[in-house]
Amino acid sequence: MGSQEEVSAASLLREYLRDLASRGERKDGRAMDEMRPIEIRSGLFTKGEGEAWLSLGDTQVLVGVKVDVGTPFPDTPNKGVLMTNTELLPIASPTFEPGPPNEDAVEMARLVDRAFRGSNAIDFEELVIKEGQLVYLVMVDMYALDHDGNLVDALELASLLALKRTNVPKVVVREDGGVTPSGDFFPLPVRETPISFSFAKIAGRLMLDPSLEEEVAADALMTMVVDSQGRVCSFQKRTGAFAPEEIKRALSIAREKWPQVAERLGLLEG
Amino acid sequence: MSLLVKNREIVLPGQLLAKGNLKPGENVYVDGRGFLRSSKVGLVDLSRGEVRVIPLRGVYMPKVEDIVVGVVSRVAGNTVLLDINSPYTGVLLLPRSREGRRSGRRRTFSVGDVVLAKVRAFDGASNPLLTVEGEGLGKLSGGTIIKVNPAKVPRIIGKRRSMINLLRDKIGRDIVVGRNGFVWVKVRDLQSSLLLERALRLIERESHVPGLSDRVTDLLEGGIAAELPNSDYREV
Amino acid sequence: MKMPIYLQEPPEILITPEGVRTDGRGPHDLRPIKMTVGVLNRADGSAYVEWGGNRILAAVYGPREVHPKHLTLPDRALVRCRYNMAPFSTEERKRPGPDRRSIELSKVIREALLPAIFVDKYPGTVIDIFVEIIRSDAGTRCAGTTAASLALADAGIAMRGLVTALAVGRVGDWIVMDPNHDEDMYGDVDVPVAFLMEDKEITLLQLDGPLTEDEFNEALDLAMKGADLVYEMQKEALRRPYLVVERSVAGRES
Repeated sequence: MGSQEEVSAASLLREYLRDLASRGERKDGRAMDEMRPIEIRSGLFTKGEGEAWLSLGDTQVLVGVKVDVGTPFPDTPNKGVLMTNTELLPIASPTFEPGPPNEDAVEMARLVDRAFRGSNAIDFEELVIKEGQLVYLVMVDMYALDHDGNLVDALELASLLALKRTNVPKVVVREDGGVTPSGDFFPLPVRETPISFSFAKIAGRLMLDPSLEEEVAADALMTMVVDSQGRVCSFQKRTGAFAPEEIKRALSIAREKWPQVAERLGLLEG
Repeated sequence: MSLLVKNREIVLPGQLLAKGNLKPGENVYVDGRGFLRSSKVGLVDLSRGEVRVIPLRGVYMPKVEDIVVGVVSRVAGNTVLLDINSPYTGVLLLPRSREGRRSGRRRTFSVGDVVLAKVRAFDGASNPLLTVEGEGLGKLSGGTIIKVNPAKVPRIIGKRRSMINLLRDKIGRDIVVGRNGFVWVKVRDLQSSLLLERALRLIERESHVPGLSDRVTDLLEGGIAAELPNSDYREV
Repeated sequence: MKMPIYLQEPPEILITPEGVRTDGRGPHDLRPIKMTVGVLNRADGSAYVEWGGNRILAAVYGPREVHPKHLTLPDRALVRCRYNMAPFSTEERKRPGPDRRSIELSKVIREALLPAIFVDKYPGTVIDIFVEIIRSDAGTRCAGTTAASLALADAGIAMRGLVTALAVGRVGDWIVMDPNHDEDMYGDVDVPVAFLMEDKEITLLQLDGPLTEDEFNEALDLAMKGADLVYEMQKEALRRPYLVVERSVAGRES
């Protein structure tokens, strides 16, 4: 399929979507605040200590969490380390090319990183083996498999699920300073459930979970992460401009949708 | 000699179709021993001593006389380039002469315009030449494009245009199917466009199963509220 | 700074005198294999293969326009291939990006598939093949080649026939089918082979380690037997989506 398709058909598409949006409609028939269906694939897919294969409509992502042992950062000797990486694989879209992460990939990886830090979701102090010397390194690798829009929410949700499923292999420190797995595991201490919500603005209307076509036609895009207490934990205006009222309204939609998504992921407690 | 497979059977690349003196048609090749084999996943079709395979998937390869829907991707002088959903870019040369301009329809094109055109020349070595001279050809204004599997376009049009006529009767006149898999549509409301998209997806998915037009009719009559048939195989 | 926490130790015995292997298989058995085509929406063709503990996604784009333009071949399609291992595909996290091994395997897989593709049907275009190893467990290049061949067929690209690949090997005195992880690490010889199944031509053959002429011939014969079995699964996988739709239509109408 022509790789310029996303560009050349864009002006026609933009006009059509604007026209629909002005009447409160979306091309796929969804309500403005309606997410596409979330499916979680079961099976064993990686060699990660935690993993999740998730689809959001026709968008599909795979996240694997690897746990290693290493030295802490000098300024946080009593804390474990979280690292995030996004690969926008060329299998996911005709417009993605092989190579090191580009700015979109890095933005998504950092956005997910901030989702977990901003919500204090992970108890990093429990990830210390020997203070100042040995800690657990938690590496979240996010793979985009199929890009039909809103990769960032799909990646964040899959990362959340993968981290909640992660079992850390307990290690014992040998006399030579090296480590040996003890054969025991403990669940990664994930204490919060930060959930990401992205919005597109088309013709002054906000729409939740934009499809690829909506992203292409959008005047502006933003992503926010909300925790179980309804607090906003991270925020990224990605493109364009929003009025303050629009951002406030989006936040209230995200807060309202949080329980629904948490439940769908099987993460609603109590 | 006759076919080694059933007519209308689904065959795969490399599959032996016939030995002997049947003629190899589209998507059929002759192997080193003179046997006919399929080069694609598709349905076998034998008629008048010729075996061909009707493909079930694949990109659009331009053929002279094809009517295509294109989207203008670049305009440079009197050369207009069109995205025709193909590995090749469509090239439209606008008449330079006074005559051409006087001939009634003055044409100006800008990026993003949707154009109904005919393939005038294509040799594989350079990009296909298109023309908008002809009945009904030219710019299509407004509306939107739905992309379909180009291999299924003959089924979307149907025998003697029966399927496209059915879709137009039930949904709206402004539906134009390009041989290249771009379907241009301009309808009154979202419900109609959703219904059309459903019908197109049904044709794409089920065209290899007999009784297609009955099922499309049922869908169109059931309307958008009708239960979407579940035949999704994209399960890991 | 990080340090490995998974130290691997070789099993005491790779194969018993009776020919029982570390995963319980006999010397001539394949591992369990599962294949599905059309798993990705955006790609023109795709396939997902589970082969033992391997998990592989293959996707094909094209024929499409060539970028950068100067790579264009005027009389045929350019075929590119990228074999890539996910960071989470191995015990020890793998650094993303190509290394010497993955660059070589990309070439080997492309050369295994190229004889099967009618490249002259698509002059001036490119066919891009991507093989993503999301979980690796010995034999990824062969499982990847098998998956990529399915993705090409799923994309509707004109082909002489399917390509089927698998490895055979030598463990002590045994010639074994489809070496597992232990045998791959500690066995004696690994022989990945691919066949263009239409006329059983060999399009991939690599070997490391000594084999006598008799052993070599036995290994090739065994690979051919294995390929026949894998080929049946490939054909079933390509037909399945259409049969599923047929059955569901019949179910709806009855």
